[in-house]
Amino acid sequence: MEMIIFILVSLIFAIAPLLVKSERATRILAGCFFLTQVVGIALIIALKHTDVVMLSIFRTDTLAVLFHILMTAVLGFALIHSSSYLKAEGVTTRSYKAYYTLLMLLAVAITCVYYSDNVAMTWVFLELTTICSAGIIYHREFKLSLEATWKYIFVCSTGIAMAYLGILLLSTVAEHGALDYTALKAVIANGNPLYLKVAFLLMIVGYSCKMEIFPLYTVGVDANYAAPAPASAFISTALVNAGFVSIYRIYDLYAVTGEVFEWARHTLILIGILSLAVGAMFLRRTNNYKRFLSYSTVENMGIVIIGMGIGGVALWAAVLHVVCHTFVKSSMFFQVGIMRHIYDSYSINRIGNYMSINRVGAIGFILGTLVLLAFPPSPLFLSEVMIFSEIISVGSWWLLVAMLLLMCVVIYSIWSRTLRLGYHSNQDELHLSEVNRRLSYSAAVLLVVAIAIGIWMPAPLRSAIDVIVNIG
Amino acid sequence: MILSLIILYVLTLIYLAIADRFRNHTTILALQGLLLFGIAIARLHEFHPVEMSFIIAETLIFKAIVIPAILMRVIRLTKINRIHSSSSQFGALVMSIVALVASCTITYYMADQRTDMIFFGVALYALLSGLILIVMRKRIFAHLIGFLVIENGVFLFSMAIGVELPMLINLAIMLDILISILILGMFLRRMDDDIHTDETDALTSIKD
Repeated sequence: MEMIIFILVSLIFAIAPLLVKSERATRILAGCFFLTQVVGIALIIALKHTDVVMLSIFRTDTLAVLFHILMTAVLGFALIHSSSYLKAEGVTTRSYKAYYTLLMLLAVAITCVYYSDNVAMTWVFLELTTICSAGIIYHREFKLSLEATWKYIFVCSTGIAMAYLGILLLSTVAEHGALDYTALKAVIANGNPLYLKVAFLLMIVGYSCKMEIFPLYTVGVDANYAAPAPASAFISTALVNAGFVSIYRIYDLYAVTGEVFEWARHTLILIGILSLAVGAMFLRRTNNYKRFLSYSTVENMGIVIIGMGIGGVALWAAVLHVVCHTFVKSSMFFQVGIMRHIYDSYSINRIGNYMSINRVGAIGFILGTLVLLAFPPSPLFLSEVMIFSEIISVGSWWLLVAMLLLMCVVIYSIWSRTLRLGYHSNQDELHLSEVNRRLSYSAAVLLVVAIAIGIWMPAPLRSAIDVIVNIG
Repeated sequence: MILSLIILYVLTLIYLAIADRFRNHTTILALQGLLLFGIAIARLHEFHPVEMSFIIAETLIFKAIVIPAILMRVIRLTKINRIHSSSSQFGALVMSIVALVASCTITYYMADQRTDMIFFGVALYALLSGLILIVMRKRIFAHLIGFLVIENGVFLFSMAIGVELPMLINLAIMLDILISILILGMFLRRMDDDIHTDETDALTSIKD
C-alpha cells in the first residue's frame, strides 16, 4: 500500500504543472516531486523495508532501491539544468510545463520498472516509459525530432511486443499465472529448454531498445540526439538503467536453469561484443556530440552485458560499471547541454576552442572523458579490470583480444574528439553566447562523485552490489 | 467451429499481403478483431462474467471497433490511399506463402504437448506477416498495420500456449497498446502535416 501512496503522490506532483499558470510554480512542483523521491527512498531505508513485496507487483529489493537512488540523483540535476536550458531556448510557458510533466512522468514510469516484481508488469511499465519519452523527444518540435520520435515509438513498441512474446513463452512454466520473479524462479528449471531459450532471446531483443545495446540500440541514440540535453542525460542513464534492471532480473531468473543459462550467457557475450563493435565503429563516424555520447553508452552497456555473460566477479563489476556510468554519462550530457548554450550547435567539426571560452566546462568535459575511458582513478577502471581478469580466468582469450582491440578504437575516437573540442579552433563564424559557469560546476559534481567512488568505494555501495549479485 | 474461424483468420492474413488500399487493410483488421472474439469465446470452457467482459473489451470493442476507427480517421485526415504504386503484390504474396510454410515447419519442431499446434502456427504466421508488411512496404501507415497484425498475433499466441494472466495485468497491457496506437496515429498525422510525407524513405535525415 505504501508503494501505491508513493506512486500516487509522485503522479500528483508530476501532473500538477499542467494545472498551474507560471513557470515558477512548475519549478516548485518539480522540487516537491524530487523531495517525494528522496523521502520515499529515505523511508524505505530507514524503516528497513528492503525486500518487501507490495501488492504482488512491487518489491523493494536492493537492486530497485540502488537504482532509484541513482535516478533521483540524476533527476535533481536534470530538473535544475532543464530550467536553464528551456529559458535559453525561449520556449512558451505551455511547452515548459509540458516538458516538466513528461520528465516527471517518465521518472515515475522508470521507478515502477525498478520496483516491479512481476515480469509482465515490468513489460507494462517499460512500455509506459516509451510513451513518456516520446513526448520529451518531440519537445523541440523540429523535423528531425519528429523523425526520431516516430522511430522511437515504432521500434520500441515493436521490440516490446517481441519481448511480450518472450514473456508469454516464459509463462508456460508459471503455476496459476503467477508471473512474479520469485514464483517463476522456483519453477523455471522445469520449463521446456527450447521455449526458455527463445523467450530469453525475445526478451533481450525487446529490452535492448531501452538498455541501448545491440540490436535495437539505434532508437536510443536517435532519441538522445533529438531530446533536450538535460532530458538526454536522464534518458541515457535512468532509462538505460531501467533496461539494465529488466534484463538483470531475467538473467537472475535464468540462473537456476543450468544448460539454458549457459546458452543465455553465451548469447549475452555475443550481444555485448556486437554492441561494443557498433559503439566503436560509430564513435569514429559521428559528427554530433550528443550522438557521440550516446554511442559511448552503447559501448559501455556492451561491456556491462559482456560482464553479465562472463559471470562471477565480472557480474559484480558489471553492476558497478552501470552505477558509475550513470554519474559520468549524466555529467557529460549536462556539460554538452551547456556547450549548446554557448555555440548553439553540437557539431563536432564546427565547434572548438572550448578551453578558452568556458574553462570550467572544458575541464569538466575532458575529465569526464578520462573517467569514461577508464583512466585511474576512474571507477570504470576498476570495473573493467575486474571484467578482464575474469575473462582471463575463464580462458576466453578471443574475447579479451576482441575487447581490447575495440576499446583501442574507442579510446582514440573519444580522446581525439575531446581534444578537438578543447583546443581546436572554430571552423566558421559562431555567435557565442554568455557562459553560465555555475551550471558547469553543478554538472561536475556528478563527475566528482564518480571519481570519489573510484578512490574510496563506500561500504554501503559495496555491500549493496554484494546483495544484488548474491554474494552477501 | 474454431477451426473454421482459424482458417478464416489465415485467409485474412493472405489477403492483407496482397491488399492495395489502406481502407481494405483497416477493414481486414476489424474482421480479425471479430474473428479473435469468436475464437476466444469458443475456447471458453465455462461462463465467467469478468473474463467474458474482458474478452469483449479487448477483441470486440478494442480490436474490431476502436482501432479501425482510429485508423479510418487517420486515412481520412492524411488522405493516404494505396500501399505504393511500385510495390509488387506478387512478391508480397510469395513472401506470405513462404512465411506460412516457415510457420508450419517451426511449429512442427517447436510445439510441445502443452501447446495448441494450430494456434501456435497461425500466431507465428501472423507475426511473420506483420514483420513482412513492415519490411516490404514503404508507407508508414503500412508499418502501423504491420504492428497491429503483430499485436493480433501475440493475442493468438497467448491462446496457443493457454496462458491466463491476472486481469489487472491484462488490462494494463491492453491500455498500454491502446495508448501506443493513439500516439502512433497522432504522430503519423503530424508527419503528414510537418514533413508532408508518409513514406519511410523520407525518414532518413538523422544519420551519422
